[in-house]
Amino acid sequence: MTDVETARAASADAAPALDVRGVSKRFGEATVLDGVDFDLRKGEVHALLGENGAGKSTLMNILTGIYAADEGQIAVCGAPARIRSPSDAVALGIGMVHQHFKLVMPFTGRENIRLAAGTARAGCDWVTVDARIAEVLRLTGLDVDLDVSVSALSVAERQRIEILKALTLGAEILILDEPTAVLTDQEAERLLGLMRDLASAGHAIVFITHKLREVMTAGDRVSTLRQGRMVMRGRAVTEVTSQALSVAMIGEQETTPIARGASALGAPLLQVQDLSVRNEGVGVVDGVTLTVHSGEIVGLAGVGGNGQRELAEAVLGLIPSTGSIALHGSALTDGSVSDRRAQGMRYVPADRTGHALSPNSSLAENLAAAAVRTGRLGHTFISIRTILGFAKSLINAFGIAGAIAGGRRPVRLLSGGNAQKSVLARELDDAARLIIAHSPTRGLDVAACRFVHDRLIEATARGAGVLLISEDLEEILALSDHIHVISRGRLATTENAKPGREDIGALMLGHA
Amino acid sequence: MIEFLTAWLGSLPGFMTPLLLASLGLLFCERAGVLNLGVEGVMALGAMTGAVVVLAGYGTWTALAAATLAAIAVSIPFMLAVIVFRAPQIPAGLALVAIGLGLSEALGRDAAHKPFSGLQALPWPDTLVELPLVGRMLFEQDAIVILALIIAVIAARGLFRTPQGLRLRAVGEDPATADAAGVDVQLYQIVAVVIGSALIGLAGAYLSVGGSQIWTEGMVAGRGWISLALVVFAQWMPIRAILGAILFGGAEALIPRLQALGLEVPVYFLSMTPYLLTIGVLLILSLGTRTAQSEPGFLGRAYIRQDR
Amino acid sequence: MLERITLERRADASALRSAATYGVALVVAVALSLGVMIWAGVPTGALFEELIVQVFLTPAGLARTLTQATPMMLAALAAALCLRLKFWNIGIEGQLLMGAIFATTVALYDIGGPIRLPLMLAASALGGALWIAAPALLRLRFGVSEVIVTLLLSNVAFLFLQHLLFGPFGDTSHNFPTSPVFDEMEKLVRFGFGDTHAGLILAVIAVLAIAVLVHRTRFGFAARFAGDNPRAADALGFETRRVMLISILLGGAMAGLAGGVIVSGTEHRLTQAVGLNMTFNGIVIAALAGNLPLMIPVVSFFIAGLSVASASLKVFYGVSEGIVLIIQGIILLTLVTFQFTATYRVTIRGPEAA
Repeated sequence: MTDVETARAASADAAPALDVRGVSKRFGEATVLDGVDFDLRKGEVHALLGENGAGKSTLMNILTGIYAADEGQIAVCGAPARIRSPSDAVALGIGMVHQHFKLVMPFTGRENIRLAAGTARAGCDWVTVDARIAEVLRLTGLDVDLDVSVSALSVAERQRIEILKALTLGAEILILDEPTAVLTDQEAERLLGLMRDLASAGHAIVFITHKLREVMTAGDRVSTLRQGRMVMRGRAVTEVTSQALSVAMIGEQETTPIARGASALGAPLLQVQDLSVRNEGVGVVDGVTLTVHSGEIVGLAGVGGNGQRELAEAVLGLIPSTGSIALHGSALTDGSVSDRRAQGMRYVPADRTGHALSPNSSLAENLAAAAVRTGRLGHTFISIRTILGFAKSLINAFGIAGAIAGGRRPVRLLSGGNAQKSVLARELDDAARLIIAHSPTRGLDVAACRFVHDRLIEATARGAGVLLISEDLEEILALSDHIHVISRGRLATTENAKPGREDIGALMLGHA
Repeated sequence: MIEFLTAWLGSLPGFMTPLLLASLGLLFCERAGVLNLGVEGVMALGAMTGAVVVLAGYGTWTALAAATLAAIAVSIPFMLAVIVFRAPQIPAGLALVAIGLGLSEALGRDAAHKPFSGLQALPWPDTLVELPLVGRMLFEQDAIVILALIIAVIAARGLFRTPQGLRLRAVGEDPATADAAGVDVQLYQIVAVVIGSALIGLAGAYLSVGGSQIWTEGMVAGRGWISLALVVFAQWMPIRAILGAILFGGAEALIPRLQALGLEVPVYFLSMTPYLLTIGVLLILSLGTRTAQSEPGFLGRAYIRQDR
Repeated sequence: MLERITLERRADASALRSAATYGVALVVAVALSLGVMIWAGVPTGALFEELIVQVFLTPAGLARTLTQATPMMLAALAAALCLRLKFWNIGIEGQLLMGAIFATTVALYDIGGPIRLPLMLAASALGGALWIAAPALLRLRFGVSEVIVTLLLSNVAFLFLQHLLFGPFGDTSHNFPTSPVFDEMEKLVRFGFGDTHAGLILAVIAVLAIAVLVHRTRFGFAARFAGDNPRAADALGFETRRVMLISILLGGAMAGLAGGVIVSGTEHRLTQAVGLNMTFNGIVIAALAGNLPLMIPVVSFFIAGLSVASASLKVFYGVSEGIVLIIQGIILLTLVTFQFTATYRVTIRGPEAA
């Protein structure tokens, strides 16, 4: 037996580190966690799988004292525990490495650890903290420069500082939230090794991930959350297949495609060739090639933060990119957004209040903004009456509720669904030829989702093409004629134009 | 030439000290994320208070203490507005300028233009004072000059070598992370502005009680604005603030010296140098990488914890 | 203790609530201001007479108030135009002084023959725009904070003014630091109503023109979007940076014009005091007017009245001129503090409900 196998065998009957029973959490009407059971043993790496919105973050936020559970019990090391604040969690030896690091950038790693330690427990003088850091470094063999500004370090190094911070604060239970999502393959390998080492040393580790391969190589047991329920609880990785995991995570009910008129594939509208975007020297979009035809919805599936926003913004011309983009068959030479919009490109961004609307301007102004930009509503002067009249027809056509006083009130007072309707009303005009819609139904109720989908389909019936970027697999499967999967800025495509649910799941999980 | 240099160097600490104290005060506020544009007004109030207290027959040290207290008191509405109510810091700071200048004019009218005996130079032996070049600079100075330098060193150590300093800087850089680490963001900001206001008030009082030993309206004469520039110039580092204060104060001290020589000097252009230097520094830093800048990351913004 | 005070963004931050908040803030500010005046020694009975009758209801007082309000309107436009794009112009005084200097240069060197007066005013606007161009470009191109740069350049402009008044522009006939008095053709026409002059009409025209620009043109629309959410403006294809730059330069031009109007209309020469407190006045007025151009004349009128009243309070009751600064400071501080409560709800949690 190798060391790892010995450790895995030992962990099966190891002492419990954490026992969660029947935990539920509701936000208003929505039940985010529904009677979840979860257990964690000392010395194991326990992988936690689940789509975005499955409830993983909520569960972890309950364990780290950020939220309070509505129902259920939690026991830490066999003793019932009440975790009412983050400091309670630290005192119980629970540490978490968030996806967005909680580090003060200009500070050194040591200063960051001192900052966190200095207030976690009274009487933590720096000499003691430094001694503990040294001890943790010695025990774990972690290698990172603690005396340079964190901003000068790589993401992987920052992550190591976060891990070191949690361990220095005395974490026996370590929760890592999608730690490999931001790492290169080599860095990820190294992290997985570190996790195994920590487990061997007796730590209990919760490893949240989307990647099946990592579950298989680094995990001892695996649990899967779907829509707030624990659908697979604490199975040994040796006993499960990746197919079973994929099904557990995504579900297996058939999605009925939304009925659409015969989609006669028209001419190519958008041809993207080898598009790359670099952000601070790091490639976030890497050699993407795709085509959207007239009358077609091209779905782009993938876990959030894999380059979707950058891809959309590069196609629109908001951020610089390399490679070529052709619209209506002719390559774009003018980089300006206004030129691309003039040729019928439209954008429904994921963050509607942040990237599409002017929250303090009126609804009418927001609806009319694109028409004002092109000069349709007047070359130099624009009357309020023109804007209100223009907006009125859109408000009626799209049924934007809450448009009090003919749309004179600020758009920030609208609900999420109506805000999204107002973005669609503006972007899906008759001249719209290519629509980039990014998570167009996020946060909307069923009726609003349906409405958005119908509008997109209507647009294709008029001959427009849609690039639908979504993390919602159901949405992609229901609407798309052609599906791509984006993972770490690269497109992963199967032989089929419309791959099946399992294939997509595998591609999203970086398995193929 | 020696005589000229001796006189210039001798007058330099007097010009340096108020700039140093005020910029250290600002540095505390800004390191905690509070942009205090009110410095010009708070200095004026300090200068007036110091003079009024001395003229009322109290000692100079009582006067300096009263000035610091007055400065803290006038900053209370500002703190309430920007720290508790998260009012925008820029207009709130400008309002503080107006209130400080207004109060100093309204309360100081009877004290204006009345010379008094203020801070005296420390009693070093004459032989030391008469040393060429550095004699007057080192040994014909009052205690506040020394105190200001000591405060700068303490500020540097306090900010960079103590847990409290670490937390204060964390509050100015990244209040969300500081909050997550259990730091009471607003408490640290209040403490920083109280310390800062006290130092700014002392800087103002030094102008009247220490330097000119008289109070006149408008005697702060833009030194508050120069201090704001100095903090940027010093890149929020206390020790560099000493160098900046020597440089800016030295330029200021040069003007009367050159005039005393009967030279035709472009006085006003010389006075512009601190401002233009600071703008140059800002430009150069902006061309460099982001890590080269040490402006507190959350300076001037209001931190509001997302409610759970 | 402070940790128990929590803030929630109001979901119902309506226009009505902002209006109510504004009203309450105004009442509190006025109450505090009256308190300050009484404390400073103005007899309670004389407040109405001094603050209302003498500055707004007598011909001489009204004339003084209108004269003071003239440059204030332009300075407030300078603040508001920039603030609408979230650009803090803390250097209105500097732009105003450059405007005054440019106008004076045209006057003293007898440039432009018959069109000298219009040329002076155009030059003043140009001077103001040039003086704000540097901070605008530094901000838009290099990301340097405009707060400190506009502020510093304001001081540089004042030093330059002093250099001119004690040097090349100085009037050698007396010892005061002023320029020689302008020729008749270099003065704005007076109405024969106190010192009021054509600058008032110019300022009102500027207010109306900017109101039209801001509310009724495509450019104003783009500026509104760019100021509120530059990302959304970019995504719609608006030329966000260009719109910002033009608005800011226009703001600087308004400040410069204020300087031109003061020297050609009120002072008839360049003095050290032409820009006094104008940055602060402009920002107070813009804040009270909610950056709405059409509200600026109204607010300017009252703020000008306050400063006229303070001059007479000084003469009759020996009240310090500092009072007007204190009051303006209180008004601004009260206003910005209350604004917050329109968007956030402050709750103080009990010790148990953590």
